Amino acid sequence: MDRRSFMLGTAAGALLISAKGLAFAQEAEGTSPDLAQFPRNETVIVHNPEGVIRNPAWFNPWVVGAGNGTSNGLHNLTTDTLWFIDPDAGVEGASENAVYNSLADGPWEYNADFTEMTVKLKQGITWSDGVGFTAADVVYTVEKQKATPGTPYNGAFTAQVKTVEAPDDYTVHFVLNKPNSRFHALFSVRWTAAWIMPKHVMEAQEDILKFDNNPPVSLGPYTLHSFDPNGTWYIWEKRADWDKTALGMVGEPKPRFIIYRNNISTDNRLIEIRNGNLDMVHDLTPEGTFSVVQQDPQIQGWFPGFPYAHPDPTLVMAIPNHQNPKFQDKRVRWALALMLDARAMSMASYRGAATLSAISVPPTGTHPRDYHGPLQQFLTDYEIDTGTSKVKPYDPTIGMQIAEMVRPQFGEAVPTDETAIRNAFGYGWWKQNIPAAEELLTAAGFTKSGNQWMMPDGQPFAFEVMVPQEGVVNRLGVIIAQTWAQNGIQATAQVDSDTWGRQRVGDYEVNIAWAVETWGGHPDLSFFLDSYHSAYVAEPGASQPDRNWMRWKDPRLDEIIEKIRGIDFNDPKGIEYGTDFVKLHLEEMPNIPIMAYNVFSIQSNKYWTGWPNADNNYANPVTNWSNGRYIFTQITPVA
Amino acid sequence: MQGYLWFIGKRALQMLAVIFCGISATFLVTHLSPIDPVEQVLGRLSSRANLSPEAILATREALNDLFGTGAPILEQYVNFWTRLVRGDLGPSLMAFPTPAMDIVMRAMPWTLGLLVSATLITFVIGNLLGALAGYNQNNRFFKLFGILAMGVQPIPYYVVAFILLIIFGFLWPVLPISGGFAMDVTPGYNWPFISSVLQHAILPTFSVVLVGFGGWFIGMRALVSNVINDDYVTYAELAGVKKSTIVGGYVIRNAVVPQLTALALTLGGVFSGTVITEQVFNYPGLGSLLIDAVNAGDYSLVLAVSTVSITAVAVAIFIVDLLHPLLDPRVKTE
Repeated sequence: MDRRSFMLGTAAGALLISAKGLAFAQEAEGTSPDLAQFPRNETVIVHNPEGVIRNPAWFNPWVVGAGNGTSNGLHNLTTDTLWFIDPDAGVEGASENAVYNSLADGPWEYNADFTEMTVKLKQGITWSDGVGFTAADVVYTVEKQKATPGTPYNGAFTAQVKTVEAPDDYTVHFVLNKPNSRFHALFSVRWTAAWIMPKHVMEAQEDILKFDNNPPVSLGPYTLHSFDPNGTWYIWEKRADWDKTALGMVGEPKPRFIIYRNNISTDNRLIEIRNGNLDMVHDLTPEGTFSVVQQDPQIQGWFPGFPYAHPDPTLVMAIPNHQNPKFQDKRVRWALALMLDARAMSMASYRGAATLSAISVPPTGTHPRDYHGPLQQFLTDYEIDTGTSKVKPYDPTIGMQIAEMVRPQFGEAVPTDETAIRNAFGYGWWKQNIPAAEELLTAAGFTKSGNQWMMPDGQPFAFEVMVPQEGVVNRLGVIIAQTWAQNGIQATAQVDSDTWGRQRVGDYEVNIAWAVETWGGHPDLSFFLDSYHSAYVAEPGASQPDRNWMRWKDPRLDEIIEKIRGIDFNDPKGIEYGTDFVKLHLEEMPNIPIMAYNVFSIQSNKYWTGWPNADNNYANPVTNWSNGRYIFTQITPVA
Repeated sequence: MQGYLWFIGKRALQMLAVIFCGISATFLVTHLSPIDPVEQVLGRLSSRANLSPEAILATREALNDLFGTGAPILEQYVNFWTRLVRGDLGPSLMAFPTPAMDIVMRAMPWTLGLLVSATLITFVIGNLLGALAGYNQNNRFFKLFGILAMGVQPIPYYVVAFILLIIFGFLWPVLPISGGFAMDVTPGYNWPFISSVLQHAILPTFSVVLVGFGGWFIGMRALVSNVINDDYVTYAELAGVKKSTIVGGYVIRNAVVPQLTALALTLGGVFSGTVITEQVFNYPGLGSLLIDAVNAGDYSLVLAVSTVSITAVAVAIFIVDLLHPLLDPRVKTE
């Protein structure tokens, strides 16, 4: 072989390999749509925050991992379950306390000791292939998942359901293994829930774990139109019989087509909404949002002016690890809280667009009505004994102060009305009080050497503050660590890419994240509080559910949780017990609640209008939450 | 010829050893990592619904069985190699139950198409201009290129990419800023698809070329500066050989050998080094796939991407090793 023939052979081989690869890509499934058939007054384009969907032709959400693509319209438009709870107020007339009866015809019905639950189902609902929806579908969903490891609710149904049966076509009766007043939560959507399976489709499959469900038979008002074989867009088309779905019974979804586009970076989605290629965007940076709403009057955020962001029903906080001896004294935890400066944290993280919360309930949805407002007087009077003096730490004016701080930059966009300021910036927070913090540390046996606090054992009070790699929470964690360091504590921000994995096993000292998530639109706190029970707290290094990352154990806390478990979801006593929790939390300060996890979800009024906002808060505007489907019944085309 | 075949055999064995060690190391790193795919899935499930402690336990056991993660690591290692020799890397855990290799094969043509062509374009332009600049050291045009190359090279890639995005996606929106091809074309051997792919590749390719050509340019200019002082170049000039023959046939051919080694390594690195390009332009390739897989603790997918990457680097080096004695007779095979 001479040089020339060797090189020619090598080149030919390389070409063959490349050609084979390209040929493989071209064999992928999917069809191309004719864009002319999607007039903008019939089409809504939604940003899906998922990245590339790696198995784009997979539409079976009853396999763990859900085929990777779920917020691509699949769970928003084609799935359904018994109830929905919106983090905001809910569509008036269609929901009560933000709770919708979706496939269920009314609320859950428990027996006296919560060991049985009966559900009446709506009649007249059909799957997109014309088969009627009945109780047999619900029974099949539970029994099939109980029998099939690898389905998402296999563990939950196995552990909790003794029997499920259908006394008639529109009634389902559950018998539980033990009392559980929140069993209905498994069928109540906050973000997702146990979606009901089409029995007639699934029972024909030999192994449902290998079934791609393409195209999906829909229980929602849309069916699959087409999708990108490379997993970056999905198009859904309204069913002709949309009125035979639970969502259709609330109102007609107006868009004929809904396009979900995913894998769009923050900068690109900013450009795309400005160019009219997106109508709803899930999330932007604070700076990106300020810029786009100021430049384009057709684009709106949640609040009509600053801070624009929607307060998610999650609460960002500083979370000390209670299994670490450094943080077991509540005086230390309170001292850490009183060293912080709410104004600095708000400005550093959200450029002032933060909705502060001093209590362990996010200031969103119905919670200002149920918790924040009623607790104002209690908070104002709240007193701490530092061991040397008594101080009232609460400052109800901090929101007002931050509003004044951002006014020079954002001018008229910043509200002037006190109620509006409280809604947008929060009801108040703790005053930075270094002397009181120092008194608390001293009372806890700490001493100060120069500007360095020493622990009772004589060692420097030093710890790492775990923060995520980017975003507002990263900025918040850094300013928190800096503030503590300025006040004599060796706190250092430690950026980590695996904060979720580490907080799950308690592998951190102080963590900046959220540990509270609520329904938002309903006062019941069980969504996060139930897993705060000491029964869930694992040994150091072992996994826990994704809450109570501080691993707080307290018999008084267990007692409150057990009381909540013992009453109905809608029992007014729920707010009373929830308030007891808030007060116990204040006394112990197991973690330091700071602010709602504000999300800069924006919408364009260029082609569609009627989006939810702070003044008409009928739905959570975040595009990947399935309860956002109600938005499609409320919006209208502009022209 | 026999010596050359013996040389190929030795190098092939080395290549196989490198692949075996590299993949084994990746297996160990992923399986000893604190990110547990079962806990990731459990975390997702329990963050969306209240699962009792019993439910969590039952789900964990079921997932360990399903993913094969409950077995001792040695058993997992043996199972992994047994499957790998059959071309099966198991199901992706984040896109269960799709085979991990299917996902890799779907992403690979994009990475190959974009990054390999961009790298080759950069290599050719950078080296050609670098060679001419090295040969014509007093030429003003090439001096200007030298200044440009020195100026652009230190700018971080993402800054250049972002500037291109703003100019051609927002201020003068003439080029697509996202994805591999437009919605309204059907993938296949058809012109609308091919032209759409080319259109979508312009900005990412341009950004890679703009940042990358400086390195090749500067390197080649330095190499040529040395070569032009060699006797055979002086002799060729004195003998009246055409300038283009001197540059193409003698100078570049002798100076390009170390550049080819660098090219092989760069091309090998393309399989895992495409992260920023793919992130900025939302390109559906291997770089973003690897990031997704690491974040999800998806062993199978990380191993599948790494296997392709390790194999590609080893094969690229192998090919360069084979090319060296053919391109440069001074390199001995024995």
